[in-house]
Amino acid sequence: MATSNAGRERILARIRKARGHEASAAGAAEAIFPLIPDPMQRFLAECEANLTRVHRAVSNVQSAAILSQIVSELPAGAIYVEDDPVLRRLCVSIEERKILLSSEGRAPEDCVATLTLCDGLVAQTGSILTSSRHGGRGGSIVAPTHIVYATTDQLLPDVTSALRLAARDTERASYIGLISGSSRTADIEKILVQGAHGPVRVDIILEQR
Amino acid sequence: MSRLAEEFLIAAAQKSADLTHRATIKRNVDSYDTAVAKGKLRFADWEAARTYAARVKGEAVSNLAPLLEEFERKIVARGGHVYWAETADDARQYICDVARKNNVKTVVKSKSMVTEEIHLLPALEKLGIKVWETDLGELIVQLRNEPPYHIVTPAMHLTREQIRDLFQQKLPDDMNGESHQELVAAARRFLRRAFFAAEMGISGANFLVADAGMVAISTNEGNGRLTTSLPRVHVVVTGIEKVIPRLEDLGVLWPVLATSGTGQPITTYSTLIGGPRAEGEVDGPEEFHVVLLDNGRTEVLADEEQQELLRCIRCGACLNKCPVYRSVGGHAFNTTYPGPIGSALTPIVNGMKDWGHLSYACSLCTACDSVCPVKIKLSGHLLENRRKYVSEGDAKTSEKVGFSVFRWATAGPRRFALLGWFGRKITRAALAIGMSPHALGPLASWTKYRAMPDVPKDSFRALWEKNDGNF
Ligand code: SF4
Repeated sequence: MATSNAGRERILARIRKARGHEASAAGAAEAIFPLIPDPMQRFLAECEANLTRVHRAVSNVQSAAILSQIVSELPAGAIYVEDDPVLRRLCVSIEERKILLSSEGRAPEDCVATLTLCDGLVAQTGSILTSSRHGGRGGSIVAPTHIVYATTDQLLPDVTSALRLAARDTERASYIGLISGSSRTADIEKILVQGAHGPVRVDIILEQR
Repeated sequence: MSRLAEEFLIAAAQKSADLTHRATIKRNVDSYDTAVAKGKLRFADWEAARTYAARVKGEAVSNLAPLLEEFERKIVARGGHVYWAETADDARQYICDVARKNNVKTVVKSKSMVTEEIHLLPALEKLGIKVWETDLGELIVQLRNEPPYHIVTPAMHLTREQIRDLFQQKLPDDMNGESHQELVAAARRFLRRAFFAAEMGISGANFLVADAGMVAISTNEGNGRLTTSLPRVHVVVTGIEKVIPRLEDLGVLWPVLATSGTGQPITTYSTLIGGPRAEGEVDGPEEFHVVLLDNGRTEVLADEEQQELLRCIRCGACLNKCPVYRSVGGHAFNTTYPGPIGSALTPIVNGMKDWGHLSYACSLCTACDSVCPVKIKLSGHLLENRRKYVSEGDAKTSEKVGFSVFRWATAGPRRFALLGWFGRKITRAALAIGMSPHALGPLASWTKYRAMPDVPKDSFRALWEKNDGNF
């Protein structure tokens, strides 16, 4: 398939002919958003507004117990898990469930939940910074429930810092995303409905570090 | 008057008299206004955010060539393909070729106004390919066989009852109730099958990030994520003006777009895609194409005055604020992009002769200017278009003569008084002999829906002097 075609040169020539206004680079973004004095408090508040459930844990053991509790609330069916030693250990608590690891392939259509890690958490918007390295692209979107295991030292203040962190990943991951809550739509009479196509439910197990 | 102008006037008159339509739009726009007002409070300085966004987009418009080349280099390095399409036809052709080569039978498409602009769906369907819109609003208008009504909320003009009736007819197997939740669930069930069956996903782009070489897509429903993750081939179709210099710019642009679009702090899924499935990844498309569309954009760029229109991030705020859009609705415009931005862009891109009338679908209230997050002076562009429309010779002679007289008269107080005296005399005489106000030139459209007031004998100036300024 062509990656360069005759139209390319013609379009570029037309662009070069046009005189652009001398535009100065954008100024500092600092004054645009208010300061976030307590990122953790802000993160929790934003998650609440996003309808993301955050479960705080102080140890691995407690995280495993929380996972087990979340999973017990889900209907029967397989759980798709990012293949990572930490998550494998957590999954011991849900041994009775069918577990599919990401190393075995992509998230199946009918899994009831996915469990992944993330690259960061964003206080400003209550978002999860993720990428295709975490269970693939489908790991965070295919199932009706997405469970994320994160640690408090992953908390970032704002979207700009998340993008700075993501910039390091652009060579390695074909997909990077900020997830801010569950899938939703307001296309019918502006009434908000959760669970349009992606997860209806997003749970973060947040372990103290 | 062109045929399109006449059609616009008829459609506009019909829609503005439709009270159900008015009530639906009012409800939608009122809840939008409340959400946006709340959303803006999250900024320490909303004006600073607008200035920043305008600068980033301005910088990009001034540097399109190097930025697009940088973007292309990075995409190609990750194994993606970039195609530069000069026209709508070019773009359609390329995408149809990709579909044919991949033996595509079903396509899932996430929301993209550019695919509307290039009329992509009919072209693919001609090849026997089934295309499903996956944004709920887009699916609704697709099932109704009509174009999107709004660039952000495509089914803004419909009530729940209308959508229920539509789904009952078109998606009976997936229906399981008629509440908002149940209607969304029906669409979810229906589209899920499509997502997993489709061989090709087509999406638009909100931004093309040059330094990262990634496409930024924002959706709330997650349909964009599924469209770009599941099928074997992913095609992005987008305008060349969508490029921005740096990944970090999204730290402001994402919140600004979401706030202006729906009042949200950020869209639920703010996604960056840089190519096909990379080595070691478990899923993602095997083929990835970006179609960069010109289709008249370089013409806008060539006009030094109007090139700032390319800063538009398609947030829809100017539509929501526009009193004309709110009365005549999105379909009356008969353009891909309705409302102020559409009225400004369409005549430049599609021809002043056919589309110049849209520059007059504006009361010059300037509400659009005040909400545009990238500070485009939309009303100024509409005025500029009017000037071109007249100078390019498609205005009525009577209008030209009328305005020359008006210009002459307003150049001095005596002339103005003389014209006023003359106007009063003629109007009074005409009404006295029983002429209907509908026959009286410019009064005709005014008196169509309003009673003609009595024409005073004296001028305002005379009355002022007589009453010593007391009324
Ligand atoms: S012109 Fe401005 S307000 Fe209108 S859609 Fe574009 S960015 Fe939004």
